[in-house]
Amino acid sequence: MTDERPLTGVRVLDFTWVGAGALATKLMADLGADVIKIESRARPDNLRLAPPFRHGHEDLEGSGYFASRNSSKRSFALNMALPASRAIALRMAAQADVVASNFRPGIMERWGMSYPELKAINPSVVYLTMPMQGSSGPHAAFTGFGATIAALSGLVSLSGLPDRPAVGTGTHFPDHVPNPGHALVGTLAALLHRARTGVGQAVEVSQLESTINVIGPAIVEASLAPERRQVRAGNRATGASPRGVFPCAIKEDWVAIVCRTDAHWKTLADALGEPGLAFDDRFVTLADRHAHEDELERIVSAETQRFDRAELVSVLRQRGVPAAPVNSSKDILSDPDLVARGYWKRLEHPVIGEMSIARPPMLFGSGSGAVLTRPPLLGEHTAEIARDVLGMTDEDTARLIADGVLA
Amino acid sequence: MTVAADHALSGIRVLDLTDELGAYATRLLADLGADVIRVEPPGGSRTRQEPPLVEGPAGTCVSAFDAFVNAGKRSVTIDLRSVKGRAVLHALIGTADVLVESFPAAVGDRLGLEPFTLAAANPGLVHVSVTPFGRGRSGEAVDDDDLTIMAAGGLLHLGGYADSEPVVAYGGQARNAASLFAAVGALVTLLHREKTGRGDWIDVSAQECVAQALEDSVATYEFAGDVRQRLGSDAREAGSGIYTCADGLVSMIAGRVGTAKAWRALVAWLVESDATGAEALQGDPWASLRYRQTPAAIAEFGHVFGEFARTRSRLELYRGAQARGIALSPVNDICQLMADEQLRAREFWVTVPEPVLGGDATFPGPPYRLSETPAVPARSAPTPGADTDEVLGELGERGRVLTR
Repeated sequence: MTDERPLTGVRVLDFTWVGAGALATKLMADLGADVIKIESRARPDNLRLAPPFRHGHEDLEGSGYFASRNSSKRSFALNMALPASRAIALRMAAQADVVASNFRPGIMERWGMSYPELKAINPSVVYLTMPMQGSSGPHAAFTGFGATIAALSGLVSLSGLPDRPAVGTGTHFPDHVPNPGHALVGTLAALLHRARTGVGQAVEVSQLESTINVIGPAIVEASLAPERRQVRAGNRATGASPRGVFPCAIKEDWVAIVCRTDAHWKTLADALGEPGLAFDDRFVTLADRHAHEDELERIVSAETQRFDRAELVSVLRQRGVPAAPVNSSKDILSDPDLVARGYWKRLEHPVIGEMSIARPPMLFGSGSGAVLTRPPLLGEHTAEIARDVLGMTDEDTARLIADGVLA
Repeated sequence: MTVAADHALSGIRVLDLTDELGAYATRLLADLGADVIRVEPPGGSRTRQEPPLVEGPAGTCVSAFDAFVNAGKRSVTIDLRSVKGRAVLHALIGTADVLVESFPAAVGDRLGLEPFTLAAANPGLVHVSVTPFGRGRSGEAVDDDDLTIMAAGGLLHLGGYADSEPVVAYGGQARNAASLFAAVGALVTLLHREKTGRGDWIDVSAQECVAQALEDSVATYEFAGDVRQRLGSDAREAGSGIYTCADGLVSMIAGRVGTAKAWRALVAWLVESDATGAEALQGDPWASLRYRQTPAAIAEFGHVFGEFARTRSRLELYRGAQARGIALSPVNDICQLMADEQLRAREFWVTVPEPVLGGDATFPGPPYRLSETPAVPARSAPTPGADTDEVLGELGERGRVLTR
């Protein structure tokens, strides 16, 4: 392991908060970028007020949700409501490689930190914004969350069982993967372009437009087959049967099984101790199984309930059938692959104590990958950043803290 | 094919040996201006048969998945089972900046794509492996499915109805997650290469990518031992959930952390609209989020809002709520989405010729807008092997020897 990591030397001035933005800058911080999180006691990141709290009660430093999205960052307390703070923010922006935010359009502008203004003082800055629906158009000011963006995008209406209302993903999914993922791809591409040409730019991620791309094939399908009605299919899919989630012996132990071929199905029937099922007229071919899917799933569910989940998964996988435990939030911490690859980092936090935080989902062969440090306390790094980045004396800093600027 | 020099990845060559798990990663790189060469076996990659499938005249059939994820790439046919084919592959790898592949470890090794071995011939190569559980897992020959990866990654457990089995999110989201982070891995390494001149091998686990999406559930278990359960569309508290209206469903988040103002605005809206029972929602105890999370509060609010919404349309509620700063959106189906006025105003949708069916397809526009290096204008996916001669021709004399 060397100290040099992929994003060492990249400085991010980070105004992102809550969901999608904070996860994007977390990955950059974990991979070596110096991410300076701007926040204040006057207006803390809402996620600092989001459960779960280690000690059960609301506590700015005790939120597990906040911690999970803010590892490896430094926190600089700056009350942006005050004009003096904005002057400081501009000095920091002048030295940043990336300035990131996910406010609704107008906030950065109100602070005098629009892209043209920052470009004037830092021509090669990469300026990331993540407005819900983009900075232009009739809905530019509309507000939303991951769940409502998922609803708008079509993802919710297509997720669920066909005979029941749309159910969505059960989470604010766009905040966790599509939007931080696309924000990272756009920002990193802009940084690469800058490294090669010296030219910076603005990267705007409309969270709605980003999320629609993760159901791109459904859009293409609708345009090519406009007469076709797209319906929810639950866990089923054309080309595999059974393809579903089935109960195991212990309550709430579920297993996902996918039979793409007749051989998979025959192996499953054998593993369940009912080899005759593979010869049942209703279930011989894929077309047969699709035609009798309700009965098939009922029968498979009745059989899987007799089995220990880990044993069933192991037997099926050894024989080439796609199968996996449906890991709960408890199971996931002891999942053997994740444990073997060191996915969960145990970090010690002065208020929270020990907790598990996910590293970026990739390993680097050179060993120069992620190193996580614990999430910062609010304003924990104010004095050191004031000194090292802004060149302030300790007296200046103390005065600005007392004046409520660095607070 | 020429890409103007004003794209972010102009001049970057990507060799694409992915299946469903990684194909969207290289699509993203193609849109950013990279020259993406998709290597397909004779007869075409299996993504060409991936649902959703659309049948055309005279027995033609197109995969909408393939059309979307392979748009803007070049396609070469190479038979990797033959010695000559593998030699051509390695000659192409010698010209590439990035290699993205999603082979199981055993297959990758057989093709000479073991981690690190390629660096000897091409030290700047960024080699990205995308596999369900990481390339280190070996000893089994399972061709995993999006459903099994969503299960192992933990997101499947959070989806579905309170009284049903877990139900997976639509759209192959394990693939998307794996592809997104594969693209991220490629780009951070290309950026680092600008400093060091060296590439790297990046081992992307799709399971880990899915496990980025577990929200507060892991901390909730660690802190209190509570295993988060599926709630389905049931409201988590009064003001947040999916509600029925006159012509469909709406999704609303009002009153969660940081949105206390939205809760007050919502109650004021209901009161000023003379909604039955709305006045009881004013003031205490409703001002407390904890109270609004009680089953009684959820039920009472559900009744009041349900009566209010029953006579109002999706779009009426959308506009009314947004005018008051309340995060409410219609639950759109694809047709409703494609009619959305915001997306039209931003000219989001793009039209791309569909060469096999002979009509036009609609694609979503790019997921981000870059001010200086806009995405390459949308292009179709290539037919299998469409660019074989051109790409091998670019290998010059070496290509002629290898393919003779």
